[in-house]
Amino acid sequence: MSFTPKTGAFSGKINAVTLGTGDKAIVIGGQNVLPFYTFDAPIENAPKIGVEVSDLAAQWNWPELSAFYAGCTTMVDYAKKAESIEGADFICLNFPGADPNGEDRSVADCVADAKAVAEVVTKPIVVMGCKNLEKDAELFTAMAEALAGKNVLFMSAKNENYKTVGASVALANGQKLGAETADDINLAKQLNIMLKGLNVNPESVVMDIGTAAVGYGYEYAASTFDRIRLAALAQGDADLQMPILAAVCNDTWGVKESTASEEDEPAWGCREERAISMEVSTAAADLTGGADAVVLRHPASVATIKKFITELV
Amino acid sequence: MALKGLDIFKLSPKTNCKECGCPTCMAFCMKVAQGAVELSKCPHFSEEALATLNSATAPLMKTVSVGEHKLGGETVLFRHEKTLVNKNLYAVSVCTCMDEATVDAKLADLQKVDYERIGERMYVEFVQVSNCQNDPAVYAKLTEKAAATGRPLVLECWDVECAKAALAVAGKNVILDGATPENWEAMNALATEAGVVLGVWAENISDLYDTVKNLEAKGNKNLVLDVTGKTAKETLANAVNVRRTALKQEDRTFGYPSIVNLAKVAKGDDRLQTAYASMFTEKYASIIVMENMTYAQALPLYGLRQNIYTDPQKPMKVEAKIYPINGADENSPCCLTVDFALTYFLVSGELERSGQPVNLIITDASGMSVLTAWAAGKLSSSTIKKTFEELDVANKIKNRTLIIPGKVAVMKGEIQDKLPEWNVVVGPLEAVQLPKYIKDKEYEAGAKAAEAERAAKAGAVKEEVKELSFDELLATKVPAIEVVDMGVKYGGYNPESKTFVTIGERIHCIAPAIRKAMDERDPAPILERAAAQIKAGATYLDVNIGPAEKDGPERMMWAVKLLQENFDNVPLALDTANMRAIEAGIKVYNRTNGKPIVNSADAGSRIGYIDLAAANDAICIALCSADGIAKDNEERMMHCDNMLERGLSLGMSSDDLWFDPLFLVVKGMQDKQMEVLEAIKMFSDKGLKSTGGLSNNSNGAPKEVRPIMDSTLVAMCMMQGLTSAIVNPNDRRLMETIKSCDIFKNHVLYSDSYLDL
Repeated sequence: MSFTPKTGAFSGKINAVTLGTGDKAIVIGGQNVLPFYTFDAPIENAPKIGVEVSDLAAQWNWPELSAFYAGCTTMVDYAKKAESIEGADFICLNFPGADPNGEDRSVADCVADAKAVAEVVTKPIVVMGCKNLEKDAELFTAMAEALAGKNVLFMSAKNENYKTVGASVALANGQKLGAETADDINLAKQLNIMLKGLNVNPESVVMDIGTAAVGYGYEYAASTFDRIRLAALAQGDADLQMPILAAVCNDTWGVKESTASEEDEPAWGCREERAISMEVSTAAADLTGGADAVVLRHPASVATIKKFITELV
Repeated sequence: MALKGLDIFKLSPKTNCKECGCPTCMAFCMKVAQGAVELSKCPHFSEEALATLNSATAPLMKTVSVGEHKLGGETVLFRHEKTLVNKNLYAVSVCTCMDEATVDAKLADLQKVDYERIGERMYVEFVQVSNCQNDPAVYAKLTEKAAATGRPLVLECWDVECAKAALAVAGKNVILDGATPENWEAMNALATEAGVVLGVWAENISDLYDTVKNLEAKGNKNLVLDVTGKTAKETLANAVNVRRTALKQEDRTFGYPSIVNLAKVAKGDDRLQTAYASMFTEKYASIIVMENMTYAQALPLYGLRQNIYTDPQKPMKVEAKIYPINGADENSPCCLTVDFALTYFLVSGELERSGQPVNLIITDASGMSVLTAWAAGKLSSSTIKKTFEELDVANKIKNRTLIIPGKVAVMKGEIQDKLPEWNVVVGPLEAVQLPKYIKDKEYEAGAKAAEAERAAKAGAVKEEVKELSFDELLATKVPAIEVVDMGVKYGGYNPESKTFVTIGERIHCIAPAIRKAMDERDPAPILERAAAQIKAGATYLDVNIGPAEKDGPERMMWAVKLLQENFDNVPLALDTANMRAIEAGIKVYNRTNGKPIVNSADAGSRIGYIDLAAANDAICIALCSADGIAKDNEERMMHCDNMLERGLSLGMSSDDLWFDPLFLVVKGMQDKQMEVLEAIKMFSDKGLKSTGGLSNNSNGAPKEVRPIMDSTLVAMCMMQGLTSAIVNPNDRRLMETIKSCDIFKNHVLYSDSYLDL
């Protein structure tokens, strides 16, 4: 009568995608079980952590975070410091400053930053744009060429610009390509099919399926994660077997829990601790849902999530 | 769990006595399995067979109650499959190894986190009392202290004497988390005697399983499982295996709620506990024990929990009230939107980004988005006025600028009439445009114009408003109908025929051209769409005049007369949130080609439409939902039965209630499509008629794909017994499929040119 649990390993498998080059290169994906279900089958590649390096980092106003990056002025400084964080598997160059409706930094400036960083860091690089479709297409095209040979992941091609971005990033320069959709499993699948139609190798694609900060409509993100992973593993749907990257930092640092001052919300306590907690909780939820990589801002979040992953895999 | 007909048949008397009304036992069992007949209709099932069947139909996971809290009762592994039922609760741990000051501080701190978020109280529901000294007096003292908080307790205690001492002072709302493979008999006796829930823990999952079996054999099923392992990894394995075994392997031995103790597996690391708690919220903990619960931890964790435990079938609503943004006060302008949580978050976020003080007024719209709520009559000038009165907005805010969503610009006049002291301004179409709109004060010009208009009106003599009777309205407000030859003749309809009934959906106020034509009483665009639909073979035409708050009755009378006089009394479905308008429409309706259809009643706030249909001898479409989409067919059928009963009690014929299962969009609710099809079969098996907005299934799909999806679905539905659908008759592929199905169903005699008929 003794109990033996049934195993839940699947025949479907998540693609294993390599980022970066040399001995610091990382592999994300590759598993045939639900996230952290090591009791079903071993998980070969633990989920990876990226540290955000933003071109607007100088505007960050969090005492502990600013202290950590004290003395950094250029993106290279920030990147070197970020790379040194224990638990950082890759760095993520984020270019919100390129937004034409914001700072509108020129493509040339951004590319120069990325190039300078790529010359000094050894860990893999992921690039995130400014979310403006045209500007991102321009930015990615120029950057993919400038960073040739570095095996960089660009986040992301979207439904509206995937032809330009897919052609320059993946086809012309052999870099890794992100495919971004917003909490919509049908669209996520469709975009992957379109990229395949463009001759982009599905094994060089990483998905951003859209997330949210916990508490902010996260149920859509949670169910999209669950449904995509079940389709990839249980139904063996090859068009959804790409690994997933969740840009957690983009979702959590702007919500009220992270930004409200201690004067406005005296009961809530330390503002920076709240922001770290939002980032940690959202990252843990994303990883539980199926993220194979998360991008975080705060060194304290990185430390906690690193421990979380290490303990569970 | 649904039992299959054959499983029931195996236990049936197999005598084919027909007392149940079915020709054979097999037929009866099949009907029981479908839920069409109650098992009790058969008097000959043995006691033993009934007991087996009852235990087989019992829930796979028990619901355990502790005071007012419910734990467990889950039916699915993933929230998209159905819905998660009982949210996970939190406990903060105190232990006998802590000094008194630490304990006092902890008990005080855990009560500090107590706030409301979207209508839900967020606080630490339990105190967990841990025992590591095995001194009954010490443990009882700590328990007494914890009980003084008034919160229910989780007594984690494996020592029988300590447990006994603690139970004596703990009160009734307690989980005695103390049974192990070694002590279970003694602990079981204690818990049973005290009438409290017993928690079970073991070194490994196999021993846990055996211990539960032992306890169940002693008759105790009031259990929770402490699945905490030595590490977080082991704990996750336990939590998943327990839940999976219960729900997937359908082994009820593990069908109990779980406790996860993070104070043990991540001792001393609050942030790591936050990370783990996030994981266990998604993966199967019913009670999560933490060392602390600060606001920094609570804000994300309770937010996540609220999201994960949202019913995916029901929209998340925020409270209707005034939300001051960026320090807004009584002199700040007002923005209005609906109570759909996502809309609220989006709009409030964008308003915050504007940096300007604004009062965001959330009005009750049943949790629908702006346009959906407007089309359903849930966002109207009356609902807004009601909100303004309930919230006492006029006295709370002095500024009189009211910005409404650009998507419902059409409501401006009506809102202005209902809120005469306000300056109503139409805001931008999309929320992302708000920061610029507010920052640049783009609303000021509109507000000035509205104010000037109001001043001009105030000067004019107020017209006496008196509600006119339908006859008076007909005589004074309904323009004469001009009959135009559109070259199309309506072919007639025989209500006795079994042929599929198509209700043409093209005359709908959501189409700007129709909205404009209705506003201006311009016949041409309406006649054009009607002619095309009749030519394409529509049986009925749906007439949606929009919410039509102000002039609904004369609008509907005009539309009905216009269509019937021009097209040989084509039968119509009258579709609006204004009930008086439907009544007015029926008043002028000609029944030559069939009764009018009232579109539509539901089992919730629109139940009165059945009464309206009954009073006017009309057909009524009865939507099988109340507040949001029915969560399963059990709920659909409950709504169906309720509405059927109401209609019949009002003297309607069951043929005049057309049940709508509510067709769901494939992009988003793909896994629910078969359920809708099964619901149609259930209607059909009850001998009921059915209809619905079938093309909703393909919403958002590419234009060239939609006809293929729609026609495939209609064929599947007709196989299940669907008798009518609200469709676009201009979709040729769809209409040809329907005609072909009518051939196969032997509703129409075949001829080579049946498609041309």
